[in-house]
Amino acid sequence: MFNEASSGGSDHAAILNILARARPERLKAFAETLLDGADGGINVIANRTGLVMVPMRDTVENVDFHLGEVLVSEAHIADGAGHVGYGMITGRDLERAMAMAVIDLCLAAGGHDRAIADFLADEKHHLQAEDELRMRQVEATRVEMETF
Amino acid sequence: MAYVATRGGEKAIEQAERLFRQDLGTIDAARVETIRRTMPYLIDRVMGEASLYDEELAALALAQTGGELSEAVLVLRAWRTTQPRIAVARPVQQAELLTQRRISAAFKDIPGGQILGPTLDYSHRVLATDVLEGTPFAPPAVDMADHAAPQRQPPLADWQRQQGLVAPANASDVAAEDIPDLTREPLLFPASRAHRLQSLARAETGGVLALGYAAMRGYGNAHPTVNELRLAQAEVVVRHPRGTEFSAGRVRVSQAEVTSSMKGGYLELGYAATFGWNEVKVIAAATLDLNSAAAPVGSAMHEEFYLYHTESVEASGFCIHFKLPHYVTFQSVLDAMRDAKAKAAAATPAAPQMEPAE
Repeated sequence: MFNEASSGGSDHAAILNILARARPERLKAFAETLLDGADGGINVIANRTGLVMVPMRDTVENVDFHLGEVLVSEAHIADGAGHVGYGMITGRDLERAMAMAVIDLCLAAGGHDRAIADFLADEKHHLQAEDELRMRQVEATRVEMETF
Repeated sequence: MAYVATRGGEKAIEQAERLFRQDLGTIDAARVETIRRTMPYLIDRVMGEASLYDEELAALALAQTGGELSEAVLVLRAWRTTQPRIAVARPVQQAELLTQRRISAAFKDIPGGQILGPTLDYSHRVLATDVLEGTPFAPPAVDMADHAAPQRQPPLADWQRQQGLVAPANASDVAAEDIPDLTREPLLFPASRAHRLQSLARAETGGVLALGYAAMRGYGNAHPTVNELRLAQAEVVVRHPRGTEFSAGRVRVSQAEVTSSMKGGYLELGYAATFGWNEVKVIAAATLDLNSAAAPVGSAMHEEFYLYHTESVEASGFCIHFKLPHYVTFQSVLDAMRDAKAKAAAATPAAPQMEPAE
């Protein structure tokens, strides 16, 4: 039923990384515009909250252990042709997960279009700028140790 | 077997709950959001002890329990059981952490350098009482560097292994789905390392600190030096139905390695990590890990002792159950005590009565 044969590759991963951290209100508003133009029905396979267990690797003995669970929202949808859209974000916001899935489905069904490319570019720029700002602040706390 | 019935208990219990909630007042989304936004380290502590990462829910738990931490952790852990586990994420590795604080007290020149990050370690702790007089405390802005710090830093332990200072470690070959999980299986002793580290990750901060402090002060075999301490964000990497791995978001985590002395030609290391930024907890927990191997059974540094006694829900639950009615069992204690006194009195010959004239 689903186009699950192969991984979407690094481009797909990069897109999903952006969508999962995109600004919520912009993400939802943009997904709405895609839904307006969607042909045919969308089948909702799952739209729920749940938990993702996060393991961590111990640096002393390389043993993986469970750190704890993270609350996530998940949306899993498909169109009539069997294309899959998937969204998962940390936190409790089913609309946000669904918006991510709608954009992912549009990409799977029709490939990139200009509007999606622009949205992704905007959000990528915003996220990079946020990280850059924070890490410049962090860099200001670097210390050099000297023994006398 | 006797029992004691309580008259009017149902009504009294309902009114007691009402009284507790009346004292806290109306809880609305604005209050929850204020707690979430203004108490990040408290939120982190609750999420870590509850083994459930969600800032909004942790803030809600704090709001509806009035900040009673044991109760907040309890309601979060209870809520966690209502949710399905959708996936197990890819194991987080230290080299992938988005690191904002990284220091070593053992080596001054660590690869990647030392970054203090957000901390009050070197500051005067002075209460800003002017705020109470109507003068808001507005923190000065950080003078940003002209370039960003690297988001990722290499593990110090890897560099130490290259130098022959730390013992080589085996490759991890356990599938994520097969990692031992304390939330689904009992803690048995001797505990697996995965169980020990998971248990410490969700342990009660105050309990871990008390026992870790005891080890540091001299009741343990190893006095710790912080090998590496990190406050960071970890990506929660999950799998798309098409197989693509991606990050569903970031969570705050703390990690600490502590070292003490040489063992078998290598530096011995203790390790701990937890959800949220809680460096006191991970340093104390890593100290307990470091001391475990040589700890005598029954000592506070033995894993059975510290893992059982820092499990917050079990510990607080056991403690508070003692205020519940124990009238019948306590009556048997009284009966035994009176009986013993009566027997002792009967066995003791009466002192001769002296007449006033004698």
